[in-house]
Amino acid sequence: MILHPRFRRGMKAAVPVWIAFVPSSIAWGIAAQASGLSLDEVLLLSACVYSGPAQFAVLAPLAAGTPALQVILAAFLVNLRFFPMSMALTPFFGAVKRRWLLFAAHFISASSFVIPYLQFRKEKESPAPDERAPESYGRSNLAFFLGVGMTSFLVWLVGSGAGFEIAQALPKNFDEGLKFILPAYFAGLLAIDVRGRVMVAVCLASLILAVPAVMWSPDWGWIITAVTVATVAWSLEQWTTRA
Amino acid sequence: MDDTRLTTILVIGALTYALRLLPQLLFVGKTFSDAADRYLRYLSYALICGIISNVLFMTGDHIATAVAPQRAIALAVTVLVAHRTKNAVMGIAAGLVLVLLLAWLR
Repeated sequence: MILHPRFRRGMKAAVPVWIAFVPSSIAWGIAAQASGLSLDEVLLLSACVYSGPAQFAVLAPLAAGTPALQVILAAFLVNLRFFPMSMALTPFFGAVKRRWLLFAAHFISASSFVIPYLQFRKEKESPAPDERAPESYGRSNLAFFLGVGMTSFLVWLVGSGAGFEIAQALPKNFDEGLKFILPAYFAGLLAIDVRGRVMVAVCLASLILAVPAVMWSPDWGWIITAVTVATVAWSLEQWTTRA
Repeated sequence: MDDTRLTTILVIGALTYALRLLPQLLFVGKTFSDAADRYLRYLSYALICGIISNVLFMTGDHIATAVAPQRAIALAVTVLVAHRTKNAVMGIAAGLVLVLLLAWLR
């Protein structure tokens, strides 16, 4: 599959993802080291989970030794977004052998989903749609997807390890900066990604209400608040749309 | 490596893999409704904001009163710069410089 010309095209298309992953994976490695995780744990999390937001979500509770169920639930809820992403890609992998899907599924992330998905949509809607046999079409798309996904995954993994090593060389009085890096990175991503009044309201309400919620229950308060805020906002939106 | 942490990481990895793989195996040819997609997006954003608040402003079940104001200012600057420049890394850089400066002045 990696010798397929479409794999190389995928690699070229992934360059912006690599550029974005270098600082973010290093930031994650630095924050994980500052939280007390070992290099093995940092690399294992990056390799097994491969999801910046989820890795960020579990970092503090994992380091603090909070109940495993809470850590697992937090990661699961954050990663639920992979479900619709994966579903959106299924029409483009038609007739691909199951073993390839078992392998490729691990490389679905927000960044490595967007690039192939937009590319496949563009090709499908082009004036000369792809006339190849379904199996060839699916394999070709999978090769492109793996070109994006596999290489981005490797950048993420290497960057995580590099971040861990860099953190050990940072001066002691940089602690406040280390604590700030990862929350700041995700705040920065949200600032770019969030659109519309409802999403802004969801973010602000969760940010503010998490404070009293954590005072009430340090382990579960913020999770219950986030689920409640998202559910209420979504229900209100659905209700006003129908009205 | 601590056994509990190792198990937790492996379980998270397995669940995440399942979320990525199941649609590929079970829902070929089906689509996810816009409404459901929006709900998952809201949930994901709400969780991330909850974590940001928890990590930056709380120490256990108390507000980190000594550092929360300066972190809140730096967070606001991060969001503003990232939004203006459409670049998260620029936002971090601006917020990081400010939070270190405020910590040094304190």
